[in-house]
Amino acid sequence: MITREEIIKQTNEALKKEFEFKDEQLVPTASLRDDLCLDSLDAVDMVIVLEQRFGVTLRQGYDLRTIITLNDLYDFIEKLARTHNK
Amino acid sequence: MERLRTCFNTIVIGGAAIIWLVVSAIIAAPFLWLKPTNRDRAVRKFVYIQSRGIVFFMRLASKGLHVEKQDRPSGSCVIVANHASALDLYTISAFGFDNIIYITKGWVFKLPFFHYVMNGAGYVDAEQTSPEEILAVCKHAVEKGCDIMFFPQGSRKDPYARFKSGAFYLAEQLNLPVVPVAITGTQKMLPAGKLAIKPARIVLKTFPAMYPKDYTGELGHLRMAQAAKKQIMDFFDKEKNV
Repeated sequence: MITREEIIKQTNEALKKEFEFKDEQLVPTASLRDDLCLDSLDAVDMVIVLEQRFGVTLRQGYDLRTIITLNDLYDFIEKLARTHNK
Repeated sequence: MERLRTCFNTIVIGGAAIIWLVVSAIIAAPFLWLKPTNRDRAVRKFVYIQSRGIVFFMRLASKGLHVEKQDRPSGSCVIVANHASALDLYTISAFGFDNIIYITKGWVFKLPFFHYVMNGAGYVDAEQTSPEEILAVCKHAVEKGCDIMFFPQGSRKDPYARFKSGAFYLAEQLNLPVVPVAITGTQKMLPAGKLAIKPARIVLKTFPAMYPKDYTGELGHLRMAQAAKKQIMDFFDKEKNV
């Protein structure tokens, strides 16, 4: 099963590649909206990028609005990955 | 010599440009106010004429102002440009786009006097308008023959900032071509946060239109944004070193 470290690494790699973030911006406490300046369309794009990266569906049955920080995002993907592997 | 020219640019040419903006607005205001129909179109035409005037002053203050333009697509289009100076807004007129709806940040709508023009021309405050509303307003504007203008970087602070994909999503949804525009030299002439107008070589260039059908898939608009940024910034880098 994919580890949390691997989730963090792959998420950050995807965000750097697609949204041009720098390493120092991608701290777990960074707010997606206020610190990373992701607007609603960016959030949708980010979800698609991460779905493609991890091969899981992020859009159905979950309230993505509860994801405020990068750490919330890592938690969310980790939870989904666990469910996916059961 | 450079300092002397900067002083002349700032005081004489900058002053003349401000007088142009104020006097033309005072003259045009009653006519625009009293115009019974198509007032928004008239305001956009007025903005175009004012902008052409500013480009004239920019030419005087520059070390040469060059315009390289392609044939524009038939019908409406989405125009996207890099953004590093307050002058960029005016430079778009140099390509002859005279009926543009700008999608801009909210603070511009709060400026004294400017907000009359912004609202009168039907420009859109991207921060106070939902994506669905922006789409609806732009659809209506395109039906009236307008082009839609974005600065996808959203700010003048970082000339290399990411291109947000909203403009490209809109083009995808409305099936409009995207015209990338490179603006180079204005970041030297009047950088963000500065008031002195330095002499600089300015090159304005349009690239061939990009079409949403060439960027398919769920992330097509993101790919189109990345491709537009690449060609604009490659040109920006090349010109920066001239």
